Amino acid sequence: MARAAAVRLTPDMTFAQAAVLAVGVRAREVWEHGEDVLDTSDIERVHAMRVATRRLRAVLEIFAPCFDRDRHRAVLREVKALADALGERRDPDVQLENLEGVEGVDAFRARLRAEQQAGNEALAAALRHAEDIDLRGQLEALVAEARA
Amino acid sequence: MKARKVRGLDPDGPVAENAARIVAVRLDELVSFTPRVFDPAEVEALHDMRIAAKRLRYVLEVTGDLFGPYANVARKRARELQDLLGEIHDCDVLEPRVLRLIDELREEDVAAVEAGGEPVHAGDYRGLELLVVRTRARRRELFRRFLDFWTRLERDAFQARLTYAISERPVPA
Repeated sequence: MARAAAVRLTPDMTFAQAAVLAVGVRAREVWEHGEDVLDTSDIERVHAMRVATRRLRAVLEIFAPCFDRDRHRAVLREVKALADALGERRDPDVQLENLEGVEGVDAFRARLRAEQQAGNEALAAALRHAEDIDLRGQLEALVAEARA
Repeated sequence: MKARKVRGLDPDGPVAENAARIVAVRLDELVSFTPRVFDPAEVEALHDMRIAAKRLRYVLEVTGDLFGPYANVARKRARELQDLLGEIHDCDVLEPRVLRLIDELREEDVAAVEAGGEPVHAGDYRGLELLVVRTRARRRELFRRFLDFWTRLERDAFQARLTYAISERPVPA
């Protein structure tokens, strides 16, 4: 999995300036990892996007007082929903990986594959929704407003 | 687990002062799960401690360089702790799931036999029971590792050193 991009905060920054930088960097990372996440043959893609989404959620929570409350709440809710959908796909991915080479557990494996498929469908819907509501644009607007 | 509220944050104040307040609360949150987590049956407390470790890790990931050098050591330790507690949580989720599946298969077989047929899942039970056994054994091993890890953190004065580090402000080179 890719390492987190550095957020180069300097001691002369205010908390609000740091918020603009941190959320901007973390938001970009989410979409950098967004390619081919629905491909179940490479489970690292969804993992990388999930971790990037968690990091984005973390900076949104850390720097919450620097943003417009209503806009922040709406964006955070959407980021959480995306993270949940990524988690729904990731959990069966990991369990299936842990069962590699384990014999006599086909009944459980079949169930996990069904969950992985359902998780993938939920993730596809969540990605479409993020696109429809322009989550990326909403994050940019949140950052721009804090900068102003 | 809902994060504790951090009071006194000021968007126009220096980032390090604000970040130090957040780290202090997150550190306190993490430590507050002891001694409960020393009981292996405290599944929820162990899970909540993992979330607390994750929150501490993420705030240090962004702000660690604003503090003394131990802040970045603490970030690594928080990640190791999060990973270890995450593996324990995986076991806590997996075992009851497999047990539920065994119950479901057994019920289907009982119904099949009742109807005069043969059990269709006879070949599944052994593998699933062994999975429960392996998961339980792994969970015990991971818990022992967690206790060792936490003991080392305490011996290394993790809490005191991080508290000191967030009061330090490195001089720019």
